[in-house]
Parts: sequence; structure tokens; C-alpha cells
Amino acid sequence: MKNTYLSLIGVLAIIGLYSCTKLNNKDYGTIVASQFSPTQQDVAALVGVPYTNWRTLELGRSANAIWRTNEISSDESVIPARPNGWVDNGIYQRMHYHKWTADEDNSFQIWTNAYAGISNCNRLLYQIDNNLIPVQTGKAQLEAELKVLRASFYYALIDFFGNVPIITKFDVPAGYLPPQSTRADVYNFIISELKTNIPLLSTAVDASTYGRFNKYAGFALLAKMYLEAGVYSGTPNWPGCITACDSVINAGKYALESVQANAFATQNQNSKEIIFAIPFDNVYTSDGSTAWTLHMETLQPENQATYNFQNSPWGGICAIPQFINTFDPNDVRLTANWIQGQQYDASGKILLGTMDKFSGKPLAYINQLPGVDSSQEVHGFRLGKYQIQAGELVGMSNDFPLFRYADILMMKAESALRNGDASTAATLVTQVRQRSFTNNPALATVTAAQLQSGTSVYDYGLRNHLQTTHETASDIQYGRMLDELGWEFSQEGRRRQDMIRFGVFTSKSWLSHSPNGSYRTLLPLPTSALQTNKNLKQNSGY
Amino acid sequence: MKKIQLYLRCCRLLFAFFLASIMSLCAQAQDGNIKIKGAVKDDKGLALPGVSVKIKGTNAGAQTSLEGDFTLNAPANSTLVFTFIGFATKELPVNNQNVINVVLTDNNQSLSEVVVIGYGAQRKADITSAVTTVKSTDFVTGPVSDGAALLKGKVAGLTISNPSGDPNAQSQILLRGTQTLNGANTGPLVIVDGVPGDLLTVAPEDIAEISVLKDASSAAIYGVRGSNGVIIITTKRSSGDKINRIDYNGSASLSQFTRTPKLLTGDDYRDQIAQGIRDKAYDLGNSTDWIKAVSKAHPVSTIQSLSFNGGNNQTNYVASLNYRFLNGVFLKSNHAQVTGRADINHTMLDGKLKFNLGILNTNFNDIPFNSNEYNQALMMNPTAPVREPDGSFYQQPTNFGYQNPVADMLNQEQPQNSYRQKYNATITLLPVEGLRLAATGSYTKSGYENLYYANHQDISTLRDNQNGVASIGQGQSIDRFLNLTAEYSKSLGDHRFTLLGGYEYQDDDTFGTNITNHDFPTDYFGVNQIQLGTAQKNGQDVINSSRSNSNLISYFARFTYNYKEKYMLLASMRIDGASQLYGASEPYGKFPSIQAGWRLTKENFMKDQKVFDDLKLRVGYGITGNQPAQGFLGVGLLGYGNYVLYNGTWIQTLSPSQNANPSLRWEEKHDTDIGLDFSLLKGFITGNIDVYNSRVTGLLYNYNVPSPPNLYPTTQANVGTMQNRGLEAVINVQAVNTKKFRWTSSINFSTNRNKLVSLSNDLYQASVPYFTTGWAGSPVTTFSSIVQVGHNIGDFYGFKVTGVDKNGYWIYQEPDGKSVAYNDFNHAFSDKQVLGNGLPKFYAGWNNSFSYGNWDLSITMRGAFDYQVLNLQRLYYEGPGIINYNRFKAANDKLFGTAVLNKNVPEEFNSYYIENGAFWKIDNINLGYTFNKPNWKYIHNPRIGFSTLNTFIITGYKGSDPEVDRGGLAPGIDDRFSYPSTRTFTLSVSAHF
Repeated sequence: MKNTYLSLIGVLAIIGLYSCTKLNNKDYGTIVASQFSPTQQDVAALVGVPYTNWRTLELGRSANAIWRTNEISSDESVIPARPNGWVDNGIYQRMHYHKWTADEDNSFQIWTNAYAGISNCNRLLYQIDNNLIPVQTGKAQLEAELKVLRASFYYALIDFFGNVPIITKFDVPAGYLPPQSTRADVYNFIISELKTNIPLLSTAVDASTYGRFNKYAGFALLAKMYLEAGVYSGTPNWPGCITACDSVINAGKYALESVQANAFATQNQNSKEIIFAIPFDNVYTSDGSTAWTLHMETLQPENQATYNFQNSPWGGICAIPQFINTFDPNDVRLTANWIQGQQYDASGKILLGTMDKFSGKPLAYINQLPGVDSSQEVHGFRLGKYQIQAGELVGMSNDFPLFRYADILMMKAESALRNGDASTAATLVTQVRQRSFTNNPALATVTAAQLQSGTSVYDYGLRNHLQTTHETASDIQYGRMLDELGWEFSQEGRRRQDMIRFGVFTSKSWLSHSPNGSYRTLLPLPTSALQTNKNLKQNSGY
Repeated sequence: MKKIQLYLRCCRLLFAFFLASIMSLCAQAQDGNIKIKGAVKDDKGLALPGVSVKIKGTNAGAQTSLEGDFTLNAPANSTLVFTFIGFATKELPVNNQNVINVVLTDNNQSLSEVVVIGYGAQRKADITSAVTTVKSTDFVTGPVSDGAALLKGKVAGLTISNPSGDPNAQSQILLRGTQTLNGANTGPLVIVDGVPGDLLTVAPEDIAEISVLKDASSAAIYGVRGSNGVIIITTKRSSGDKINRIDYNGSASLSQFTRTPKLLTGDDYRDQIAQGIRDKAYDLGNSTDWIKAVSKAHPVSTIQSLSFNGGNNQTNYVASLNYRFLNGVFLKSNHAQVTGRADINHTMLDGKLKFNLGILNTNFNDIPFNSNEYNQALMMNPTAPVREPDGSFYQQPTNFGYQNPVADMLNQEQPQNSYRQKYNATITLLPVEGLRLAATGSYTKSGYENLYYANHQDISTLRDNQNGVASIGQGQSIDRFLNLTAEYSKSLGDHRFTLLGGYEYQDDDTFGTNITNHDFPTDYFGVNQIQLGTAQKNGQDVINSSRSNSNLISYFARFTYNYKEKYMLLASMRIDGASQLYGASEPYGKFPSIQAGWRLTKENFMKDQKVFDDLKLRVGYGITGNQPAQGFLGVGLLGYGNYVLYNGTWIQTLSPSQNANPSLRWEEKHDTDIGLDFSLLKGFITGNIDVYNSRVTGLLYNYNVPSPPNLYPTTQANVGTMQNRGLEAVINVQAVNTKKFRWTSSINFSTNRNKLVSLSNDLYQASVPYFTTGWAGSPVTTFSSIVQVGHNIGDFYGFKVTGVDKNGYWIYQEPDGKSVAYNDFNHAFSDKQVLGNGLPKFYAGWNNSFSYGNWDLSITMRGAFDYQVLNLQRLYYEGPGIINYNRFKAANDKLFGTAVLNKNVPEEFNSYYIENGAFWKIDNINLGYTFNKPNWKYIHNPRIGFSTLNTFIITGYKGSDPEVDRGGLAPGIDDRFSYPSTRTFTLSVSAHF
């Protein structure tokens, strides 16, 4: 009997010993960093990370990031309340009215995505420096590229927030809170980083540098910084901009497309005009925050039948009629870039509206809009600059050109104009215009006198179902140049930036918008940033 | 420091008790008597440990052991007095006998019942913590969703609700308030026959009793999983002498929605067209009630269960078969479950070795309801036909997000099948008196298969050119469990001890795959040839797999002490290591508890009073925990994620996926509970009162951190502190107790006050003392609720309406109290204010049961008071701005008697949609007649019953049911898509053979 007990106790004891006393340490979803040492094979996967941050920073799906902020706070486009929604707690209307607060998603998205990019660059620089990532060849070039890329994120921050912390280190002590720098300090930092590192960048213009910072993308960024020097630092630097543009032009590696649309085609990756693009793909960048969904955001649900989409578009963003009215009717860009008129299905049958007052009536986009607070399906021309291919998925495959050759020419033109060389400016602007007036080439020519004129053709003033007013546009210095930028670069997520440089962003009215304070050239720092870093001061006015 | 002092104090106390017991042992040595041995049992034949055996007229005596045995030396002519709380005292003359066996009969069930507590059982009389047990005879009757629904309205402080009428939805359980911000466990830990499980592990009809461990001093033995309380389910087993029998229970039920919203009808549309406020294109010439169109006319549910009991004292078994078919009111929503169970017991070596073997197999065949179809039914044009004259379904594919729900339901198949197999075995060895060694092991394998196919007639093809959409989700999970315990019990004179020690290991391994595809050449194969779709070949659609693995390693010990039934003490300690905290600096947590009880009625000063039969004061303090929901938060992680174009090809990037927090640990709940158990006037009135105060420290949350320098703007950390204070009271009255007529009435009441005490610590300083949470739904797209330091969880936070102007624009109140016109109101965060709270402050229940002759009747009523509900259905469907979808009739009502809401006002989350949620429900009525014919040979005690569930409600709430989702940090939101609650009528038959 005793033996039976003993053997049973023995069995229990063995079970006890056999069973585990170790906590599970195997993660099947992610890699525990301490259990991973990268090899040469992993380098590309590791160093490509911060480029993905530009995708969300500029265009992230449903994110109120750079592109949307620059568009819908400007006089070019608007997201009005639609019969099917697009109110979203009033955020798009506040963007239009310039009534945004520090709690808006826009501030949060731009801040967090830009700093995520910066943190990734800092981390990679630290890891490469300390041989934690085994980079065998081209180490100096890769480090320079990461520094220029990091500077590009600071370019986003200086443009929207001005006064931001500069952080260049990864191994900061626990609890470290970076101090805030002034906008001028941030400007000097970016310029110095670019000047030091551009010479080390690759000069290749091919697949190996596409979507990355080669030397010319670096110069394009530098040109942009000098173009905005007056806004960012208080002291303009037009010659600097001209020199940087010339560095790109004289290299002779880029050219204008014969047709503007080629630079915005679904397959635009081989365009000679693109200097730096954010690549997209309807399969590889199709989920969550990574897809680019402009076609979904601008077309009405009925247009699903036009392009045989697999999803119904959401019907929102459109042109502000006053902006469309500035176009010369002969300008190819008016018809090529804006979807207008009667809509048809893929077989050519006309489409009918389904909502509210236009239920059962022809769906024809008209250049009228009751206001930001009210619209029907037909109101407003839709954004069609980026080719929408038949059967497109939720995300588009068009790469987003952040810097293109036309912009180099126009930056140089504007700098020359402001620097007193109007005839060079006129030549350059004419060069860019020529492909857009193929039916009437004479209209392409712009004269120095026209560019020097202080009048924009934009008919500013309130223009909505509640109120109509008129404001002069003859007090805008180089107003014609601003118009030219509007026509060439519409829908490229930069109108706010140009309007600020020409002094109209916070001084004019359009559609339902009235000026609401000159401090609105900067966004407020996001509440969450202020809450977590006591060194940060909110921008004045907010 | 405080903790160490507590330990020292515990140690000192334990030492003192040991000393006292040794002294009493010495005092027993006497001379000139005979030695008497015996055993004390109750009338069911179960041994009674701890019975006091006294020699009449003296103080000398003994106590029975764990097996109910006693030995003592007494004069041969003396009389022995057996006393035991809850049992009638018995006196027996010794008459020179050396063996005296005694049977005691219980005279107060509220004291004599044995109650399951963690890793053991205690008599109710000995319990020193807040534990409530409900037996199957007191359960809610009818086609309940799961085991928890059996307790609705029965336990003070335990709120069980079914916010959805979906037959596949489970009960929601809230015990003593919200206890966590982001911990893994938001509901109580469920233990089934000693093994962790969940509410679907067993069929409700197989449950014998459920114990609820409410306070941390009782739940601390479950350590890091105990902070939301513990629900211990015990299944029916064979016991007693008349073992061989077959039990049958069957029922059929009919369900209906309690309330459905009032939508505009076809005639309302035509009136609007006549009035010129709607375009005539909207009249499609029919009148369709779309809610009816998506509902079943007479959804009948049925539950059938059969159980076999057999064997003898040495080997016996129970085997049962249970079939449940719950039929939802909406089309294509039902739940079928088949459960087979066998439980076998075998005893050998004179009862010193026991085996228990359990096998359980449950299979579910569900058709889940897609809540968007309800939304579609509400949005459909009431003048549209369900089908066109040619037999095809009415569709308007160009109307955004609008699809015929009847067509969806018929063109889409989505069966979800799952199973669960559980094997468990326990070996119990009693090698020497008082020592009990037990080993329990269990292996549970569960799996699911979720299939979906939308055919070529579906909207996905008509509108979206998908040409058939298929998806397959499959997975399997294996849970392993091992528990080893040793328990030693000893009675020494007036002292009774037990000492329990144990080790426990459990792990879980889950694997799942998912594949979707579209563009099929034919519907012929449905989902069964998923490779025929071409979308996968084009790089579209998803294919993925995932695996996760976690384990929990635990050591625990418990000591109980009982002195003369007068003073009771319990102390326990558990050490838990949770793999979620792997890599963190402190993965192991310590969870101690101490409880003390004092039976006042045993004191001399209460000796002569006649009012109280029993009065026991108890105090408990304990610490329980809650680990993080995700694993590996303490270490740096790298994840493959976004693609980047690299040298002309898209490659996946590898980047950090979180901010690591190595100081991460579990949430810790410190809880004090003071209770009073009483029995008055010979059990006429019994009950208990508990007050508690708990503080959860180190609340887990994704706190904002500065970015830069952090990569991500949030990090999961232990920062805040939350407090819950409350009172619970239960009073049971044996109102009438005659042979013919019995009436018992039980009232329970509870209140809980929750407060977020802090959101900061040394490392994480929240510069604003709040965070926002919840979701007011599309198209409003804003948070609904706020969690603020110094306030309750569940505060709604939005714009406050004071009226509307004559144009139908809201008049808003600014936080300073000033009313402003709609266009002057800034609509910013700073203009929001607290609009109400979604957690009831008071709960009450009133249960009555009657029996008259062969009739029995029970009525369960319950209510919740002082809280608000955010009615998102009204917010959306009462907005007149949207015209291409149907609206509620009330969309055309004047607000505040002034004006109809202006069409240009977008949907806004404001106080107009926050309603008083208080209600009183007559929930469960159960009437039965039992044929009591002892001379029937083959059928015994057949009973026919009629019962109802969710019978009747008194409330001012305008939605379907104010008992909405109360879980999480944004409770009290009546979701726009939620399946309306149902009322059920059931006819049941039961008998045994």
C-alpha cells in the first residue's frame, strides 16, 4: 500500500518537474529586436523605412495630412458638405473657414508623421554609425541621403509649424524633452544639412535613385527652401534659389513632358519630368494608411460605373468655382485637369444622380457651389489631374511627384522675377505654358510686363448661398505669377504655400471663407505635443 | 514599506495561532474516561468537518476532522452534544459505547450549504469574504444566451445584461464597476470545474451552481487574472444513492423584438412629395416595411437536453447531451449548439484514491447577423419594392452605401462553425488523515471555420464588379492546464486549520489563417474552390496567417483557521508570472490576501437574545491583478510592414513597431471589503451587506509620450489610479413557509461609485488630466466620452443644447453657461462639456418565488437607475439633412416645440441625443405545474412550464432597450447598428425516468 502511494506521489512530482517554469518568449507576429541581428540582406528593408513616412505625411488615406491641408485651406479646392456626408464633425469646414484648432487631426498627422520620419532617420544613422546595420559599401552616401531625407521632414515642419524642436540624435537619455527652436533656427539647420550632404548624394537618375534623394532631388529641396527663405527666416534668398535650380537644369538629366498629363499618368515612374516622387502602387500600397485615394475622394458614387471600379467612390473634394474661372478657356489644363460636365458609364450611357435634389436627374458636374456647408452631387468640378485608370482599386498606382522639372523652372522664374530679371522669368514661364496651348500657341507666350503686373485674375470675395461680395485682386504683387502657379500646379498639394508667399492666404475671401487672422499661415502645434513636452510653446494666435 | 509591514503582521498572527493550538493540545491529556470514536454526517451522507463535540456540562470536547471523524475521551455515562452552525444541535448519551456515529439535519440552508471558493469549498457559515452562490433551482429560465445570463438580477453587485438580441451574442458582465483602462481582462475570470474556461464552455442546462467571488480577498488566489472577480461554474454530477436515472428537459420558444423604431412609411413619403419637401422621383409606388422584410415571422427556438446518471458508490457517471437552437428574429441569424459531456468518478483503496475523468465536446453552427443589414433596412426607401416585377431584387447601386438588405441576406452565405473539445482528469490521493493531494490536468482544443460567399447576383457584382466574393477563415487554439495542490486539514480541540499549497501552469497556442478572393467564373462551387477566383493572382485580396502563444506560471498557498466557529481567519498568497510581461523587468507579481470573520452570536453578550440566529462580521483585504492584453510590450520589436520602392522593386520594410517599455507591469487592485452576514428569526430573514473600497493602481494605458524623441506618440505604461467604492445588500425573506404554500422573496441592491484618481506618475506626467475615448459614429466622427481625473468613467462629453431657433438651428450652451446661436458657436473641444454618464449609479433586483401545491411561479425583476444613454440611432436617423436614405418619423418633429431641425445642420453629437436610461424590467416569469404521482412507474415528476424573458419594461428611453453596452471606457452608447433586444415566450417540459 505504502508503495502505491509513493509511486503516485512520484508520478505527481515528475509531472510537476516536467511542466514549465519558463515564460513564453516566442513572438509570432513581430521580431523581438534583441533576438535579431541584421545581415547584408536586411539592409534595404531597414533603410527604406523613413521613405514610407513621406507617404503618410503627404497623402495618407483618410489622414488630414499635407496634401489635403494645403488644398482645402486654400482658394483652389474645398470639401463641402455633401448629401452623402463629408461633414466629419466639421473639420473640412473649419479648414476652409480658417477656424482650425490645436485639436485638429491635421496638426496631429503632420507633426507625428514628420517626426516619425525624423526618428527613423536618427535611428538608422545611429545604427549604421555603430555597425548595428552592416552597410559595407557606400556608407557615406547612405548617411548623407538619410540626412537630406531628414531635412525634408524638417521642411514639412518648418512650413506648417515654424517653431519646432530639432533633434538629430537617437540615443537620448530617458525622459529627454527636446527644446523648441525658432523658425529661423530650423531654417538655418536645414540649409546647413543640405549644403553639407548634397555633394555626397548619388548623381544617378535611374531606378536605383527613383523615389529617393539623389543629388538633384537634394537641389530641388534646397531651391524650395531658398524660395521660401523670406517666409521661413525673414530674409529672402532669390539668388540662392536660382543657383540651386540651375544645378538641376544644367545637369540636363530632366525635361518637361510634351504633355503635362504624362507626369501624372498611372504609370508615370519613367517620366523625365519627375525629380522626386513618392511612389504608390494599387497593390503594394493599398492598405490602411498607405493608399492614395484621390479618385475615391473626389468622384461621386455613380462614377463607379464610369471607370468600372470595384468600390463606390465617396464623392467629396472639388474645385472652388472662382478658381476655375481664372483659367483661360484655351488652356488645355482646364479640361485635362478637371472632371466636368455630363458623366457617363463605361459603355457611354449617361449617368443619373441618386441623391436629394438631383435624384434621377443627369449627373453633370457644374462650376457652381452653394458653399462649404451645402452642396448637391453635381456641384463643383472634380480633381482629375492624376490619371484614373479603368478598374482602379481603392488606392491609385500614380506616383506622387513632390518635385518636378516644371517646378524647377517656375521656382527659377519666380526668383528671377522677384530678383529683377523679369525677362528670364517670362521665358521660363512661357516654356512651361507652351504644351498647354497647343491649339493656340500664341496664347502661351507671357511677357515680362504681364508678370510684373500686380493683378491676379482671381475674383476674390465671398460667393456662397448666403453672401456675395467682391474684393480687389489688384493689390497682389506679381499676381500673374501666382495665377501661373495655380494653373500649372493645381491639385499638387501646395496652393496654401504659394498663397502665403504671395500674401493672399490670410487676406482674401473666397467661397464661404473670410480672412481669420494672419497668424493662420502657421498651424497650431498639436495638443498632444504640447501636453507631453513642456518645452514647447504654442504658436502665437492660438 | 507598507506591504512589508503587512506581511510581518500576518506572520505574527499565524505564529500566535500555532502557539495557541499547541497549548490546547497539551491541555487534552486526561484520565479515567473511555475512548470514543465516531463520524458525523449530514442527512445526505456527506461528512461534516468542524462539528463541535462537547461533553455536556463541561468545556471538554473535540472537533470533527476533514472526513467528519472525531475521537475523544469522555466518562462512560456522559452525554455528548454535537453543535454545528446551520444544523440542529443533537445530544446523545454515551452509554458506554466506543463508536458513536451521528447524522445532523440542517435547519438553516443559508449557513449549512457548502460553497465553492477558489481551489476548494467552504461552508457558508465559514466564509469570510464576499462570495455569492446561486444554485440551479434559482437560475433564470428560458433560452438564455450563456451561463452568465442565468444570474441576471440574482447577485448584488454583478450586472449581467444582453445588450443585443443577436442569438450569437454573449452576456455582458460587470462586477463592481470598471476596473481597468487597458488590461487583458475586462470581465470576470470564468472557472469551469476547476479549469479556466469561458461562458460557452458548458451548456447553461448542465450547470449545477455558480459561485461569484466579488472581492479581491477572495479573488486574490487567482492572482493576475482576478481583478474583475471570478465566476466559478460547477457542472451537474452524480451524487447520493438514487443514482440511476435519466433526466429530460425540452423547451420551445417564440421571440419578437421588444421595440423597433418608427420610420417614415411609403405614405409618409408620398405626403412629403405632395407637400413639396421631397422630389417626386422618390416615390417608387410601393409600401414596404423593411424591418418586417428582414425579419422572420415566427422564429422558434428550441433547447433539448438529456442526461444519464448511473453507477454506484464506487464508480458513477453522468453523461449528457444538449441541443440548443436559438433562432434570431432577423433573417439569417441563428445559433445552434450541440454539447456532449461525460463525467466519470471512480473511488478505490477505501476512498483514499479518487479519479475523475471529464470529456466535453461542443459544436456550434452559427449564422451570424451582419449588423449593416439592419442599418440598410432602416435606410431603404419605403416606397421601394423588395423585388421588382420581374422577380429580381430592387437595387439602386449608384446610391452610395445603399443596398437591398433582403438581397444581401439571400445572396450572401456566411456559416460559421466551431467546436471545442475538452478533456480533464483529476487524481486525488488521501494518503494520511487530513492530507489531500490532487492533480488536475486539462487539454482543450477549439477551432473555427468561418466561410463566406457572395454570389454573382449580389451587390458586390452588380455594383462593384467583383464577380463573386469568397473568404475562408480557419483557426485552432489549444489550451493546456495543469494544477497540483496539497491540502492539509487538522482539528485540534477548538482549533481547525487548513493549509493549501499549489502550483499551476497553463498555456495557450492559437493559430489562424484567412484568405479572401474574388472574380470567380461561376457560383457553382461557392467558397469551396477558392483558388478559382482570379483576384489573388492579380495581387489583390488578402491571405494571411497568425499565431500567438502565451503562458501563465503560478504558485499559491492558503491558510485558514477557525476557532470555535467564533473567529475565522484566512490568508493567501499567489505568485503569477505572465508571458505578456516577458522582457519587462518584473514579470512575476505577488498577490496576497487576508480575511477575518467574527461570529457575534457566539459571544456571551449575545447569548440571550432571540432575534439573531447568526450574525457574522467579516473583513477582507486583497490584491489582484490584470496583465496587459498584448505580449512583448516591454521589449523592442521589429515588424515587416509597409512596402517601399527600392531599385525598381517593392520590398517590405522592417521597422520598430512600438516604443518599448521595460518597466511595464500588471495593473494592481487593492481592495478592502467589510461585510455582515445575518440570519434572523430562525431563518425567516437572511441576508448580507457588503461595503468595499478598491483602488486599482498602475492602470495600463497608451499614454501620450513626447515625439520627438519617441518614434511613436504613445507608449503603453502603468500610470493611473482608479477607485471603486460601493455597497451591496441582499435580503431574503421566507415570507410564507407552509406545507401547501411557500413564498420566498429576495431583494438585492447595489451601488458603485467609480472615480479616476490620477493619470500621472513620476515618469508620465499628464499635462491635462483627461483623455477622450469612445466614438459617436459616422458621419459625426468624434469621440463620445471623456475619462477625467476626479470623475467617473463613462462621462459623455459633447456640445450642450439649450434649444433651437426658429430656423431650426441648435442653440448651444458654452461651458460658462452662456447660450449662443449656432453660427456663433465655435464647435471646438473647449466648447464641450459633460452631458451625462453611461454607468448606472444604482442597481436593484427583486426575485419572488411561490409554490402552491404542485404549482410553482417565480418572477425576476430588476432595474438600473441614475444614468444616461447616448442614442446614436436617433442622432443619425432623426437628422433631416440626409434625404436619399429613409429617416425616423421624428425627423419631422419640432424640436423643443419650436422648429424642425434645419436641413443644413449636419449631424452633431450633442445633449439632445442623450437620454435618461433608468428602467425597471419584469424580466423572467416562470410558471410551472409538476405532476406529483408517486405511483407512476416510468415517468417521475413531469413538469410543464411556461416562461417569458425580457417581459416588460418601464422606461422613458426612446430606443429599443436602455440596457446597452456598458463595457469599457465609453459605456452607455446605443449603437446605430445594434440588433434590437427581444422578448421570448417559452413552453417547457421536463421529467425523469
